[in-house]
Amino acid sequence: MNTRQLVTVFLLALFCFGMILLAGCARQEEEGNVIKIGVAGPMQFIHGQHHMLGAQMAADEINDAGGIKVGDDYYTIELVKIDTNELLSVDDASSAVEKAIAQDNIDLLVGTIRTEAAVAIQELMMDHQKIYITCGASFKEMADKVSQDYDRYKYWFRLTPLNGELLAKASLLLLQHVGQVMKDDYGIETPKVAVVCEEAAAGDTLAAVAQQVIPSFGMEVAGVWRPSPQATDMTAELAAIRDSGAQIIYTYLSSSGGVTYARQWGELKIPAASVGINVEAQSKGFIEATDNYGNYEFTLNTYAPVEITEKTIKWYEDFIAKAGEFPTYNAGTYDALYIYKEAVERAGTLDLDAVIEEMEKTRFTSACGIQAFDENHDVIWGPEYVTAVGTQWQDGELKCVWPYDWQGITYPGTVKYQLPPWVEEALQK
Amino acid sequence: MIRDMMGRIYRNFKGEILVLPGRTLALLVGLAIFIAPLLTRDIYILRIITLTSIFAVFAASWDLLSGFVGQLNLGHALFFGVAAYTSAMLNLYLKLPPLLTIPLGAIAAVAAGLAIGIPCLRLKGQYLSLATLAFPIILKGVVYIFKQYTGGELGVSGISRLAGSRLAECYIALLLGVSLCLLIWKITDSKLGLIFHAIREDEIAARASGINTTAYKLLAFCLSGLFAGIAGGFYAHYMRLAGPSMLDVMLSFQAIIWTIFGGIATVYGAVTGVVILFPLMEVMRAFPEIRMLFFAVTIVIVLRFMPEGVAPWFLDRVEKECPRCKERNAFTRRNCRVCRTLLIAGKEVSAGTEGQTGHPTD
Repeated sequence: MNTRQLVTVFLLALFCFGMILLAGCARQEEEGNVIKIGVAGPMQFIHGQHHMLGAQMAADEINDAGGIKVGDDYYTIELVKIDTNELLSVDDASSAVEKAIAQDNIDLLVGTIRTEAAVAIQELMMDHQKIYITCGASFKEMADKVSQDYDRYKYWFRLTPLNGELLAKASLLLLQHVGQVMKDDYGIETPKVAVVCEEAAAGDTLAAVAQQVIPSFGMEVAGVWRPSPQATDMTAELAAIRDSGAQIIYTYLSSSGGVTYARQWGELKIPAASVGINVEAQSKGFIEATDNYGNYEFTLNTYAPVEITEKTIKWYEDFIAKAGEFPTYNAGTYDALYIYKEAVERAGTLDLDAVIEEMEKTRFTSACGIQAFDENHDVIWGPEYVTAVGTQWQDGELKCVWPYDWQGITYPGTVKYQLPPWVEEALQK
Repeated sequence: MIRDMMGRIYRNFKGEILVLPGRTLALLVGLAIFIAPLLTRDIYILRIITLTSIFAVFAASWDLLSGFVGQLNLGHALFFGVAAYTSAMLNLYLKLPPLLTIPLGAIAAVAAGLAIGIPCLRLKGQYLSLATLAFPIILKGVVYIFKQYTGGELGVSGISRLAGSRLAECYIALLLGVSLCLLIWKITDSKLGLIFHAIREDEIAARASGINTTAYKLLAFCLSGLFAGIAGGFYAHYMRLAGPSMLDVMLSFQAIIWTIFGGIATVYGAVTGVVILFPLMEVMRAFPEIRMLFFAVTIVIVLRFMPEGVAPWFLDRVEKECPRCKERNAFTRRNCRVCRTLLIAGKEVSAGTEGQTGHPTD
């Protein structure tokens, strides 16, 4: 072995050990009067970017206003960006969060989206007895754990989206709304509904609930179709739906299949109105992605440019100005920071038990409604709380069309739901 | 008597470990890893050490089957996932402790090894690889079908911890990792390992020599499944979750990448690959935008300049193999430590002729 080889080997060994040491020693010095908040999400994707932007907007506003008042002191917020890579790797997600806990000393965690990762992170955060506000995963059982073992899981809260069961309820209200329009305007007494739920856990729940509930709405189930979440062709399903004589399609599509579905539904002019949950239809690029065939797609949403509360429109516009994209439910990190701030200020201490007690009493006016937590620390859904909204693409613009006189609620700016013209034609025939 | 025994251990230690730079370095790194948890107590460092130990066993188990026997398994995550799900479900539904669920999970992985091995051993080469690739995908489908038990895409969560503290978990993982990797290494270094080598190099010749190659290949599937299964069960209890990501194609490919990066068909290469790459990727969390790019570029560079892997490349530079007795020697030695052959590149000189004319022997 010559000198050059020796140097190479030495440098390689040094590099490896240096890297390991760096990982261990890369601690930041503790600063006084700082609250560190971890923002966890897949930062290379829109979900994580919305987590981060929502939290950043709130942190900037709170810090500009002096910070969080704890007793007589003011604490500034320092955000710790945690790229969980959770869409690709679950252990990456929990490792990233554990690093933030151990080395960045975060006091609070907000974010995460993939349920499998969120469940692992929930356990991790409870082990470390740190507050974790989920803004992205809808798995209902995460909340059930709070009542099953309060002492362990009391640190967990969910802000967005609604849990799976509530999402099903709210999306079925949209279906009922469309059914009512058909009954009122076209005299169709028993509309036939095709259920299209992607092959996924949430899709299973929604498909089962829909089949059970639809007859009680005075409608008939024409059939159930379960496409792949990433389907690139749905003509077979859509042709079968046309043949089934369905007048409404109830959807649950959370992935890229939502674009395929909407494009082909509009292109083939399937004579059935589309309503339900299509996550892709919540994004700004949807109408372009569907070559304008996505018009009239009607989906449940968290935010809309209407006066859900006095904060909504300004916040919605600010978010679009910064992100260039409509806010998704992941941007609920914005509200999570304010809810934490208010709870700490009411408690007057950073003591966790006192802060949790105050968080349980939360009644926060956010951009998506009045946010409060139930006994399982899950966000409450209802007319006086967060209702969710129904948005429809009309002439290339996303409009809020629901609630429309639901429980006496119509948010100012809400417009009337429109049936697609080819569906109207078919109904008239 | 004790003095004699101690003396023998010391002589073996000096004669078998300290005499070779590779083994000395491995010992030092091992010692550093064992001591690190006591010095830091940082849960993140403990996590990295724990996961590194688990994945070292996982990668070594892939090396046993694919590196030594030549049965290229592209779906190694199957063993990991089967054991993880079995352990998690036994723990959750039957309330069995991890001490029982991990071995039972490993047995389930062995059964999975048999289930794959029996139909797949009729296949060879890329056909075998493609068939193995299909099994975790099939199992993932099964997981989704029986979601009332497996939790579907959400997995099985809420299972018990391995031990009361992170430190204890870390040391259990370390001890398990070291002992299982040594066991795998001993297997490959035994007569069984020789048969595995023979099957990989020329299966027809091995069969002609009277070796029941089908039985041995099946045994390799089962052994590989056993070790990967222990790693999988351990991982499930550490993460307190068994989910479909444990059956991902990416996890299978990770075992392959770690092993090829470190050096295939060596066992220590697989362990080296994990020990370098896993912590390195954690360090790269500081640069999330370039993390995966860095990973890919590192792999490409290493494979370009060290095609046999990091560990063999390093050993080739710090150790020399005696051309006569094939024993390894430190690069500083002029003579073989066993047969005294002169170790000079390109020629060898037997003991006794050193310093004379230098006629090559053997």
